[in-house]
Amino acid sequence: MTPTLLQAADWLFVADNLGLLLRGTAVTVALTAASILLGFVVGFPAGALEVYGSGLPKRAVERAGVVLRGTPLLVIIMMLYFVVSVSDSAFATATAALGLRSAAYQTQIFRGALQSVDEGQLEAARAVAMSRFEAIRHVVVPQALRRSVPGFQNEFTIVLKDTSIAIVIGIGELLTTGQNLYEGGRSTAALEIFLAVSLIYFVLTFATNRSLDRLSDRYAVPEGTA
Amino acid sequence: MGSVVSVRPLTVGLALFWLWLSGRLANDFLLVGSVGVGRGEPFVPVAPFAAAADSAAALAASLGPVGEPVLWLAGGFEFAAEAIGYLPLLAGGIWTTVLLTTVSVCLGFALALPLSLLRVYGGRTARWAALSYTELIRGTPLLAQLFVLYFATSLTQVLRGVPGVGVGFVPAQAFWVAVISFSLNSAAYQSEYLRAAFDSVDSGQLTAARAVGLSKLEGIRYVVVPQGLRLALPSWTNELVYLVKYSSLASFITVQELFGRTSTLASETYQYTDLFVLAAVLYLALVVTASALMDRVESRTATVGVGHTRQ
Amino acid sequence: MTRPLLDIDDLYKSYGSEDVLEGVDLEMDRGDVTVLIGPSGSGKSTLLRCVNQLTDIDSGTVALDGTDVTRPEADVNELRKQVGMVFQDFNLFAHLTALGNVTLGPRKVLGMDADEARERGREHLEQVGLLDQADSYPAELSGGQQQRVGIARALAMDPELLLFDEPTSALDPELVGEVVDVMRDLADRGITMLVVSHEMGFARSAASDIVFLDDGEIVEHGPPEQLFETPEADRTREFLGRLQTEHEGTP
Repeated sequence: MTPTLLQAADWLFVADNLGLLLRGTAVTVALTAASILLGFVVGFPAGALEVYGSGLPKRAVERAGVVLRGTPLLVIIMMLYFVVSVSDSAFATATAALGLRSAAYQTQIFRGALQSVDEGQLEAARAVAMSRFEAIRHVVVPQALRRSVPGFQNEFTIVLKDTSIAIVIGIGELLTTGQNLYEGGRSTAALEIFLAVSLIYFVLTFATNRSLDRLSDRYAVPEGTA
Repeated sequence: MGSVVSVRPLTVGLALFWLWLSGRLANDFLLVGSVGVGRGEPFVPVAPFAAAADSAAALAASLGPVGEPVLWLAGGFEFAAEAIGYLPLLAGGIWTTVLLTTVSVCLGFALALPLSLLRVYGGRTARWAALSYTELIRGTPLLAQLFVLYFATSLTQVLRGVPGVGVGFVPAQAFWVAVISFSLNSAAYQSEYLRAAFDSVDSGQLTAARAVGLSKLEGIRYVVVPQGLRLALPSWTNELVYLVKYSSLASFITVQELFGRTSTLASETYQYTDLFVLAAVLYLALVVTASALMDRVESRTATVGVGHTRQ
Repeated sequence: MTRPLLDIDDLYKSYGSEDVLEGVDLEMDRGDVTVLIGPSGSGKSTLLRCVNQLTDIDSGTVALDGTDVTRPEADVNELRKQVGMVFQDFNLFAHLTALGNVTLGPRKVLGMDADEARERGREHLEQVGLLDQADSYPAELSGGQQQRVGIARALAMDPELLLFDEPTSALDPELVGEVVDVMRDLADRGITMLVVSHEMGFARSAASDIVFLDDGEIVEHGPPEQLFETPEADRTREFLGRLQTEHEGTP
């Protein structure tokens, strides 16, 4: 039982099942993309509401955020799965859980970014006769989006890693695939399997960070030395 | 901000929660069999709440469509009755979660401090090694790390052999595997916070320390580290909250912390809704307590001019 | 008699218990260049902001070309199309190039198509001598250049009236000249300007009127030679004296 050494036979087992692991990787990537997207679609307006809104809608968004940020993802998944019964599809449930929680964090990111744009920008836009909405849309939002890249980058990798928690409702994502290989296949290859799985995650987070760095550089507003 | 101690419902709720938890644990570990109530037996009887729920439901039924609000009230009483029944069974889980979190944060800090100093002041090789460690840990899921340690190493067997593990107050080996995994993970994140903090301490501070005759090591020890730790305090709030929530992953390796207890109970009773809502409320209580506690620490250790001082 | 372009009548404004403007009357005709001077806190900037409604007024009226713009039902955006503003700290849109700053208003507010806006934007940049910096971002420009883009941005809306809120006070002394030159050029071309500034060179050479504001009211009002050479009020004399020593004090 004791995995004594990294054995060649065990690595061969991993290599033989590389196709399965890559399929799991595809599920992980799809789950990440869907969740980040849902998080953005909900989180961006919610962030704007926290900055520019008032009254009940603003308070409701703030409360929901506190609950979503203060509850373990595991609990959120189980609540959506058993309590709300979001969908028969485990993938949809996991997307909803990861996406809503990400929305709560993305709200914070966008709120901070919107608030960091200087008040004078809004005033100058108003002075060229833009309505408040136009001023926010054309002047504040483009600047805020650029400033939210580092926070967004962080959020992206968190979601990517946390897709592994969806193992609890049995989605065939990467970690689940590894777990199945270990339990249903070759238990002596545990170290090799989980190291391979971890390596894939690492490559994914690394690649994500690098591409977002690129994106950020591409759209950065030049700052001269003048 | 923190000094305004008005009695808010939240404060009262948190106080009640901790009063109940300490009373419960004292009862279960120390008083049971003598003066206390039995283990798993609630302090407050369930019957009145269940009865209230029944009569409210009956009233709602007699009122017809107008009885909707009364029906909600009935639901509230029902949840209260369920919660009172389950809480004693979850107390041990909460305790394990608290223990898991605090021990891991402390051990993580003990590892993170040297790690971050190597990042800032170490030689080329040491810097590179520390950087690789933090990037590898931060680039992979905590759950995968937990699985590597639990399923793929002989850590469990080794820990099982350690005298005292699993005896009396001391939790069993799976708990310690989780502690080791969380500490290694937290060390990477904490070392990032600390590195950023040490980097932001003005380099003139170390120069000044050298100028008054301290060695480099003493300068770091007495001048840079104390300032850096204060700067890093807000990040610890994040780290503590992070670990409270992610300690739930220990349930995957059989640790019966709050989430583990909850799902075990849920699969026995099929009361998934009430139990997971209750778990969410309990986690929120822990998270809110953690950030309130850190706010207190921050205002206690605040030094004018170091970091952001609260007004 | 032609009606004045700007007619401010009995304007009051306070922030909480702080009375900032206490019954200001001011008229400007087309082509006038009026310079507002006065000690800090005298209400100059507030008066300026009341004209384009960046600040709400408490009572009184502000009429532009005979239309009361302070009525509740008045469209502030219609007003702002006709009144341009140049800010003390430039407030250039940080994410847009110089040309982008100048064309945003015409495109989004006036509905001009992109090509036309760009073409006209280039003309406005040329007027302020910055055509060669059309593709530079604000952070790549010097303070003086940023302010000139700010002026071009205001001009691009083809306003009836241009407001300047201390346009040179955030600039290093050696950069003031280029901005003042542009402003003088605009004055020569007959653009109506209401300017808050202590730039005496500009006030003497380009202004048609000087208004001295103190404690929320207009103390004295007249052509530059009269107000600077033979001020009537003690407060005006005192202020001008102080201004002079301050200026001699700076190297």
